[in-house]
Amino acid sequence: MVSKESCRNEIRAAIRQLSDRCLYSAAKWAGEQLVGIEQDPSNFTPSNTRFQRGSSSIRRRFGTNESISTPQPSVGFSQPPATPLPQDDEVIDGDLYLLAKSYFDCREYRRASHVLRDQMSKKSVFLRCYALYLAGEKRKEEEMIELEGPLGKSDAINRELVSLERELSALKRTGAIDSFGLYLYGVILKEKGNESLARTCLVESVNSYPWNWSAWSELQSLCTSIEILNSLSLNNHWMKEFFLASAYQELRMHTESLAKYEYLQGIFSFSNYIQAQTAKAQYCLREFDQVEIMFEDLLRNDPYRVEDMDLYSNVLYAKEACAALSYLAHKVFLTDKYRPESCCIVGNYYSLKGQHEKAVMYFRRALKLNKKYLSAWTLMGHEYVEMKNTSAAIDAYRRAVDINPCDYRAWYGLGQAYEMMGMPFYALHYFRKSIFFLPNDSRLWIAMGKCYQSEQLHMLEEAINCYKRAVNCGDTEGIALNQLAKLHKKLGRNEEAAFYFEKDLERMDAEGLEGPNMFEALVFLATHLKTNKKFDEAEVYCTRLLDYSGPEKEKAKSLLRGIRMAQTGFPSMDMEHFPL
Amino acid sequence: MAGLTRTAGAFTVTPHKISVCILLQLYAPSAQMSLPFPFSSVSQHNRLGLYLLSLTKSCDDIFEPKLEDLLNQLREVGEDMDAWLTDHLTNRFSSLTSPDDLLNFFNDMRGILGSVDSGAAQDDQIILDPSSNLGMFVRRCILAFNLLSFEGVCHLFTSIEVYCREAHSSSAQYDASNDNLESLIQHDQMDMEKYIMDKATEEIELQKNASGSVPFHLHTPEALFKVTEGLLVTRKEKSRTNMKKTEATPLACASSSTADDTLVDESLFLRTNYQIQGCLMEQADAIETHGSSLSSSSIESFLQKLQNLAPELHRVHFLRYLNKLHSDDYFAALDNLLRYFDYSAGTEGFDLVPPSAGCSMYGRYEIALLCLGMMHFRFGHPNLALEVLTEAVRVSQQLSNDTCLAYTLAAMSNLLSEMGIASTTSVLGSSYSPGTSTASSLSVQQRVYILLKESLRRADSLKLRRLVASNHLAMAKFELMHVQRPLLSFGPKASMRHKTCPVSVCKEIRLGAHLISDFSAESSTMTIDGSLSSAWLKDLQKPWGQPVFSQESGSRKSSTFFQFCDHLVSIPGSVSQIIGASYLLRATSWELYGSAPMARMNTLVYATLFGDSSSSSDAELAYLKLIQHLALYKGYKDAFAALKIAEEKFLTVSKSKVLLLKLQLLHEHALHRGNLKLAQRMCNELGGLASTTMGVDMELKVEASLREARTLLAAKQYSQAANVAHSLFCTCHKFNLQIEKASVLLLLAEIHKKSGNAVLGLPYALASISFCQSFNLDLLKASATLTLAELWLGLGSNHAKRALDLLHGAFPMILGHGGLELRARAYIFEANCYLSDPSFSVSTDSDTVLDSLRQASDELQALEYHELAAEALYLMAMVYDKLGRLEEREEAAALFKKHITALENPQHEEPNMA
Repeated sequence: MVSKESCRNEIRAAIRQLSDRCLYSAAKWAGEQLVGIEQDPSNFTPSNTRFQRGSSSIRRRFGTNESISTPQPSVGFSQPPATPLPQDDEVIDGDLYLLAKSYFDCREYRRASHVLRDQMSKKSVFLRCYALYLAGEKRKEEEMIELEGPLGKSDAINRELVSLERELSALKRTGAIDSFGLYLYGVILKEKGNESLARTCLVESVNSYPWNWSAWSELQSLCTSIEILNSLSLNNHWMKEFFLASAYQELRMHTESLAKYEYLQGIFSFSNYIQAQTAKAQYCLREFDQVEIMFEDLLRNDPYRVEDMDLYSNVLYAKEACAALSYLAHKVFLTDKYRPESCCIVGNYYSLKGQHEKAVMYFRRALKLNKKYLSAWTLMGHEYVEMKNTSAAIDAYRRAVDINPCDYRAWYGLGQAYEMMGMPFYALHYFRKSIFFLPNDSRLWIAMGKCYQSEQLHMLEEAINCYKRAVNCGDTEGIALNQLAKLHKKLGRNEEAAFYFEKDLERMDAEGLEGPNMFEALVFLATHLKTNKKFDEAEVYCTRLLDYSGPEKEKAKSLLRGIRMAQTGFPSMDMEHFPL
Repeated sequence: MAGLTRTAGAFTVTPHKISVCILLQLYAPSAQMSLPFPFSSVSQHNRLGLYLLSLTKSCDDIFEPKLEDLLNQLREVGEDMDAWLTDHLTNRFSSLTSPDDLLNFFNDMRGILGSVDSGAAQDDQIILDPSSNLGMFVRRCILAFNLLSFEGVCHLFTSIEVYCREAHSSSAQYDASNDNLESLIQHDQMDMEKYIMDKATEEIELQKNASGSVPFHLHTPEALFKVTEGLLVTRKEKSRTNMKKTEATPLACASSSTADDTLVDESLFLRTNYQIQGCLMEQADAIETHGSSLSSSSIESFLQKLQNLAPELHRVHFLRYLNKLHSDDYFAALDNLLRYFDYSAGTEGFDLVPPSAGCSMYGRYEIALLCLGMMHFRFGHPNLALEVLTEAVRVSQQLSNDTCLAYTLAAMSNLLSEMGIASTTSVLGSSYSPGTSTASSLSVQQRVYILLKESLRRADSLKLRRLVASNHLAMAKFELMHVQRPLLSFGPKASMRHKTCPVSVCKEIRLGAHLISDFSAESSTMTIDGSLSSAWLKDLQKPWGQPVFSQESGSRKSSTFFQFCDHLVSIPGSVSQIIGASYLLRATSWELYGSAPMARMNTLVYATLFGDSSSSSDAELAYLKLIQHLALYKGYKDAFAALKIAEEKFLTVSKSKVLLLKLQLLHEHALHRGNLKLAQRMCNELGGLASTTMGVDMELKVEASLREARTLLAAKQYSQAANVAHSLFCTCHKFNLQIEKASVLLLLAEIHKKSGNAVLGLPYALASISFCQSFNLDLLKASATLTLAELWLGLGSNHAKRALDLLHGAFPMILGHGGLELRARAYIFEANCYLSDPSFSVSTDSDTVLDSLRQASDELQALEYHELAAEALYLMAMVYDKLGRLEEREEAAALFKKHITALENPQHEEPNMA
């Protein structure tokens, strides 16, 4: 375990270095983690801990001094936290660099890069290239609108990529590139589609400078399978844990991811980031109550947060908490209206209210802001399904799938839409796809079972197999057990049917449920046991039936009479046939 | 999403159009001169005018020519003033140094248009009539330019720069004068280091640009050659020839990393939705005609580019599906098919759907099912295919899409008849029972028949001509292969017609071929093939007296001719394909009925007339038929030579039957030469080609075991051969393969004959004959008769008379249509009969016998059938001996010995084909 103090010192220096290079989001992330570290109680008075999230400026200055004065442990890659903090060379190219940085801060990227045109220090080269890259990106965004053609053609590209790639690859060849340059090179390579080289560059970057979260997240987006992830040779560092946690989450290994976050929480116990990520993982595990509490907590600490709030809205949607959802939407809209997350939250709200047209409008807006916003496509698909516009729904789902082929929700949606149109066989392919990505979800198995069971296909054996899988995956709603029992009954396999009815009954008893399913189970079990001459057990079920009113009661009575008859040794005469 | 609201057929200003405008300015300057400055004669002036007219006409082509190509063409047109023309063009371009220049340029363009009323003012003045073709073009350009926003003008400006730079980089005339332009254009790029760096890198980049564009813009010698020949080749043609050139593929891959920069300029040449659809249709045709000989990766890279340019053009996915289908990539094909229908809901680009039908809400997913079913069929998953097609039937009934229903039923019947699925009752019985409730109890054949009838009825009422035609063909095929019994009629009225009647087959085939006359009467929507715009430039070739077809290689000559005719009579490729198929079917039917000349003639008609418009698998089939014919009637030498050619031509066709035929020929050859080991090996390999799934590839399996039995027979292992033949008969019965049954029965008779069990053989031979009769298999019947006669003779020489009578009855058929082997057998048998007939005297009537024997031995020489040849020569020697002609006897004996030694040492002279 790394000591908190060393972590703190590392992050402090890193924030300075990152923001010096205008890598603001990485700096922001690092800052969040810095205040997320639990303060050492011995160094602080109790009153101080109340404000620990923003430690005082004096303290911070002291801290940085400390980090500079403290001699770093000897250089060696084997020791986990031993990556040395690079010393900055800012003294050398001070003035021009400062000017460029202020241009950059004012978002005048080309100007910034122009100022640095003759500067040869690594830091200046990085900032120049980075500014140029951003300028290209900005222009690309503008051109995307300008060049939009009749067939959705938007072939706008970042025109700086070619020259940047050339320059950076030359630098890399001569070895005159630092980890930040490598990060930028990796980003550019990724954009050009050269993924494997991009990965090696990013790995090199994070190995030499692990505190750049942007590099880690770029790397994470390139790890599309667990094999790729395992093949990376990463130095040990506590940042790697963050990376692994988020990579696991993306690869739907939620429990592994949760374990990592739990470990990290030992140091960064107040980190909002970790809390949000944990909530995300819990959401995927469908622990809605827990997630709601976590988000409430998060919002209390960080009331103007917009990130990840779409997830919170999903939870509220699932719990049908209209008021809370509208409150959240209102708050987020006041904070930042033009964030895809905000639009998504409003869309969710309208969807919950049953105003699907409006919901679609807001999802569309979210997509306008970010064309690759996965969950908005999926949610829009759901809305279209509600509006019975299946082809539009299919289109929306398909777009989600093409953005991220692992999105099981969208595959599931596709299957559902096709099933709605009476094409169950066609739908099966999509259900299979969604199950492939999430094999342990009973809902998906049940959906597929229903599909097989549909009157058009009537493939009951396959349906039974699906339901069995659903039961093994822990079917919480008990649909699978009930269906299994019914299917077996239909196929005349009374033993199996009895087995599943009994199981279903146990489940209903445990959850204290009642209803027609229960009557059906009781009636079947009683009749079945009676025909098998297990009168005592049959009587138990019959007496349970007697507690309820309705036709079942009458049925139970006649059954009981039959049992008595049989027990007292009368010739097997079915009393039901006589009008009594 | 927002982009969809714009009109699809927007006319946009592109650098190429500006080139044309510049030339137009030259053609009709606003100054009032009868003949503008550079032109020396009126004809020269007119020549440029004609050229410009063709350019403006072909502006609707998919890809526009690059400046370099334009300059090359100009050199041809301009003759002695070519330098002046091209210089003017390039200078005019380099004088466009700022967006303002563009604005002024288009203002000037207005000047060359005459006002509407001044049209007839002065005769000698050259003024463009605003309503003429050229005038319209100018007006459209001006309008389009005026509609541009400032950003649009800027983009046009940068694309002009790329347009010019490409021309410069390819002509490698990168001189200092260009620096000026470069620097001005790059004024927004603050990266001055670029300038400090040496120019070499810049050159590299330009080179990269040039190389990256190879897949679209030909720099291949062939294309250049074409251009210098003065042939105006449209861009599309070029891209097509490029597709054919597989050498371009690695280049395309290599440049894919730099593709991004070239994409920018490609986009300028991307045209309207409508034209792209046409282009895609052409590509689809190309995929079908060339099969996988068309390198799939080159198409893939083309599609990738197209998709980058037009992400909302979903048809690309469908094309990719086709491509993957033809390169046998199941998963990719499935993925792309589903993607296409997910995006477009089947509403984009299916011409079998009338666009007027309101389908916005539900989409056309039944077509997705139909396509999916056919895909499964192609990949050999008959049960899956049947499930999917059943669902397609259900959905199209639900949505009352009768067109799709008709097609689906046709596909289903095709599936059933091809695959002969044994266990369909569970699938079909539960779902679709057309017309009758007892459908589930019907045999597969009956079901096929019902499906075909239903499909035909619907297609007829919906006027789906092509479907009607292909249904007629399928019907003909069905009637050819199956005994037709009245279905579901058990009363006394039920007439039991046990014959497949050639008349009805021919009638169906002819009905199928009626399509062509229908199409000439109907000017349907099918004429749009995207190739119309390029037809203009092609037509222009004619008056200029260029050797129109000189560039085409021999085999493609006719295709060009037909393409040319296509524009005149506008027969879509699919129609000629169906008509071609009818000829193939005719050939097959004659093959079965046993008329070799008719079969050969029909195949030849197909190969010469339809070979180029057909799909590669059909063309292959025709070739194989011809080769088979060669082997049967001309001997193996010619056949193997022809096979070599076919192999080269069709090697890349997926599921190629060339290998199959090769194995068959080799097997036959080995059997004849007595090389049984080789024969057995070939036989096993043949069996290995078939899929292991039950009920799939039945024909192949039957063929393999038939050959196995024959090999065993040749090895004199009679009981094993009989076992194999028996089980084969059972299989044929199970899968209702009637025609094969006949030949298996014949084989059984043959086995018993060889084993000396003539009495046992007789019933088999008779059964085979009766089968042949009911199916009108005349040639097979003749050969069965021959076997019957041989069996009679085997019973003793007192039956020789009867055997001879039988033989003479079959002789016309055998001699007229039989292959070399059959004829030789008949001759030898005839001689045998005479010789064993006690009333026949050799000395008086020797010529009857000798003639037949000589004929037989000649024919067997060609076949290299050692065993029979030895027999013939032996008989010959005996006859000569009787006659006392010793010299001839020795000759025959020597030949006999040669054949016997060859037979005993089969591996002595291995055929080099294996």
